[in-house]
Amino acid sequence: MTLRQILILLAVAACILLLLPGLGRYSAYIVYVVAIASIGALALNLLIGYCGQISFAHGGLLGVGAYAAGNFGNAGQDMVVALAGAGFVTALISVMIGLPALRLRGLYFAIATLAAQFILEYLFRLLEPLTHGVSGLLIEPAPFLGFGVSTDRGYAAVSIILLVLSLIGVSRLLRTDLGRRFILIRDSEMVARGMGINVARTKFWAFAISGFLAGIAGGLLAFTTRIAAPEAFEIALSVDYVAMIIVGGLGSLPGAVIGAFFVVLLPEVVQRLGEYFNAATQTSAIREMIFGLLIILFMIYEPRGLNSLASRLWRRWRGAGTKPAKTPSGAMDLRPSSEPAE
Amino acid sequence: MLTARDVTIRFGGVVAVNKMEIDVRPGEIVGLIGPNGAGKTTFVNAISGTYIPAEGSIRWHDEEIVGRSPSYLARIGVGRTFQNVASLNDLTVLDIVKVGRSVRKPSGGLRQFFFGNRRQDNDLTDKFLEPLGLADHRDSPLQVLSYGHRKAVDIARALAGEPDLLLLDEPVAGVAPAEAFALAGFVKRIRDQLGCAVVMVEHKMDVVMSTCDRIVVMAAGAKIFEGSGAGVQSDPEVRRVYLGDA
Amino acid sequence: MFTLQLVIAGVAVGSVYALIALGIVLIYKCSGVVNFAQGGYAMLGAFFTYALAQAGLHPALGLLIAVVLMGAVGALTQILILRPMLKAPVVAVMMVTLGILITFRAVCLFIWGPDQLAFPQLFPAGVIELGGIFMTYNYIAAVLLSSVLCAAFLAFYRYTPLGLMQRCTADNTRAALAIGIDVSRQVTIAWVASAMLAGLGGALLASLNGLSVNLSNIGLVAFPVIVLGGMTSLVGAVVGGVVLGVLQALTDGMLTPAIERVLREYTEIYSVGALQQVIPYALLVLVLLVRPQGIFGTRESERV
Repeated sequence: MTLRQILILLAVAACILLLLPGLGRYSAYIVYVVAIASIGALALNLLIGYCGQISFAHGGLLGVGAYAAGNFGNAGQDMVVALAGAGFVTALISVMIGLPALRLRGLYFAIATLAAQFILEYLFRLLEPLTHGVSGLLIEPAPFLGFGVSTDRGYAAVSIILLVLSLIGVSRLLRTDLGRRFILIRDSEMVARGMGINVARTKFWAFAISGFLAGIAGGLLAFTTRIAAPEAFEIALSVDYVAMIIVGGLGSLPGAVIGAFFVVLLPEVVQRLGEYFNAATQTSAIREMIFGLLIILFMIYEPRGLNSLASRLWRRWRGAGTKPAKTPSGAMDLRPSSEPAE
Repeated sequence: MLTARDVTIRFGGVVAVNKMEIDVRPGEIVGLIGPNGAGKTTFVNAISGTYIPAEGSIRWHDEEIVGRSPSYLARIGVGRTFQNVASLNDLTVLDIVKVGRSVRKPSGGLRQFFFGNRRQDNDLTDKFLEPLGLADHRDSPLQVLSYGHRKAVDIARALAGEPDLLLLDEPVAGVAPAEAFALAGFVKRIRDQLGCAVVMVEHKMDVVMSTCDRIVVMAAGAKIFEGSGAGVQSDPEVRRVYLGDA
Repeated sequence: MFTLQLVIAGVAVGSVYALIALGIVLIYKCSGVVNFAQGGYAMLGAFFTYALAQAGLHPALGLLIAVVLMGAVGALTQILILRPMLKAPVVAVMMVTLGILITFRAVCLFIWGPDQLAFPQLFPAGVIELGGIFMTYNYIAAVLLSSVLCAAFLAFYRYTPLGLMQRCTADNTRAALAIGIDVSRQVTIAWVASAMLAGLGGALLASLNGLSVNLSNIGLVAFPVIVLGGMTSLVGAVVGGVVLGVLQALTDGMLTPAIERVLREYTEIYSVGALQQVIPYALLVLVLLVRPQGIFGTRESERV
């Protein structure tokens, strides 16, 4: 991200923050739900979109973050401390999930993360002293740097600030040696290894950083919903997040936000429509159906995501057909080359 | 500097490299030639740590390096290029050179994170991209470059780590003749500048003859000749291997 | 005796796993696509059978028609969805199969609701006692039917011309193209076969455990099965399925109570919950770490 882009981002964030007091509760709710999902999607995009490690355990990781933050918060910690703590705990678990990635690649690793997801779900129900099992962990409101923020607007402000920090952080990270190594490993692990890159260590950091962000997103979820229950962090949530980053665009920072916006708002819209047509009883089925069909259509017609679509439209609108078509930054290509492995 | 003895590599039942040996002294350019399938690339892969030989010893200064990882070898100064240039998507030329630099000479991660490093960018461009004619392309993604340019990027990448030994795996294969000689000249210049030793696997005889101080010929996985360029052309064994039993 | 009883129940469920895993392996071998929707096909097959029986057909006839219908569904998904995605990134292809799964589930949820339904009797009710072991006809039929089908399928794959073309395509797509095999059609055939196998497996499973949308979860259980057997081995899928079924039954019947007894004595944890559902995944991680190519899989080498 260039300085100019950072300034634009800051300006947009400042505008949202300034407008917040004027927003209704529902709008504020939407703002923070989207912002939190964006942080989570950013975390996953770092792992899948930039480092090429396909993971279906993201829902479980958000759960780890939620439980950790909830426990820290209930112990009387400030939200910042609780979120940071959740970040570290989740980073640790994320690295453990990443361990098989040292030997496995592509598909096999994706299946291993599927297993990790189910094991996490099971542990959420089992470890009652930490998670309160099926009934869920109730979470007390916590102050943010000493300020009381337990209103929708307060949550919205906190989430926006953290989202902006994460966006800037990740974009800077991608401009360091570590970030470039992520991308290299995604494009070809073999080449990366041949070039003398320590693939294991690089992956370790990808999982740690992605886990840290996931922990923060999960912690925010916990503080805003005031409860962490196992059914909120099932495989469906993992699928939602993978959908977000593909819909938004793999390996694209704005894509994470766009995808989060899309996937989070879709159920809201369908809910509204359902209420309007008095079909509330079937809404959940209809919502799922639309979600499923949209994923299918998306993958067929725009597998590179909304972000790539947007930049294409933008270029056409500018009439810049004269320029040689440079592949939109971030468009990734995980062809079947990342097959079985070792 | 590098001493390999009795290096044997097998794939299943096939012996790809058979009791191969080589010595490389600091600052010399050694050409490794031989017919297709002689095991040249396999041998280079063993030196760079990609393959682990079944038998034999490879010593770097006084250290046994068989079984060490490519990343360790890169760190202690063994750099290499690839025969086929990978199709990398997003990284720009400069990015790739920076990656190459970072395996040997890491630049402070946190400093990069907060401030970037424009001076390093310019230094790298001047030192490694300019001489290879890549300075204008430093911000282009690899995939828009020509094949020759991509090979040059790979060499710049390997050089950016300032290795003590550079393994070039067919650096000019598939590159237009004019570019090929430019590349060869560059290899010589870089040797003079950085003082690194070079092992060059190559098919193009004229390039090998004009660049290398010493030539090692491999056939069927073993060394059959070692000596000067003139010696190679007159050696009966080498002639037999290349031209058949005429 | 109790153990043996558990083993038999495990083999019955495991043979159904095998049917479903076979389909996944088949598609993967042929086209490199990992089909997360396999459980969706199983569920759909069961619901089709249910609906046809509700409409007054004999359940067995209903099952037959349902399996044929499933073949059509398989062909349609391959032609309409997977074929346009030949060049899409791997994640996108995984995602599209998840999209199919979500859609199938939602459709079934919409039509049949979330509750457990009484599945029509495919086989006559009754129990056989053999030396103190009780087996319902249902279990026996499930085992027999799945093993016959698995064997028939493996034989088909091994000995018929079509099976040969399938193996060619799976082995090396380019070479298959070069010798004039219509690869695209072979892939469609693989999808048809795999959807039919899944549909049948789903109906059998429903006849054992009852029918609800949650039947689709079996597709995810099939992944430990195929990883255990090695992604590319059909025999491995069958063996893996049976092993996993038995393991689950034993966990449920013996391991869980034993662990819980110990836990209750020394800790405050009262129950270990559905341990048998996690066991396959724990095993999967273990297998992947120790022998990534699975028990029957082959190692693939790479070239620099």
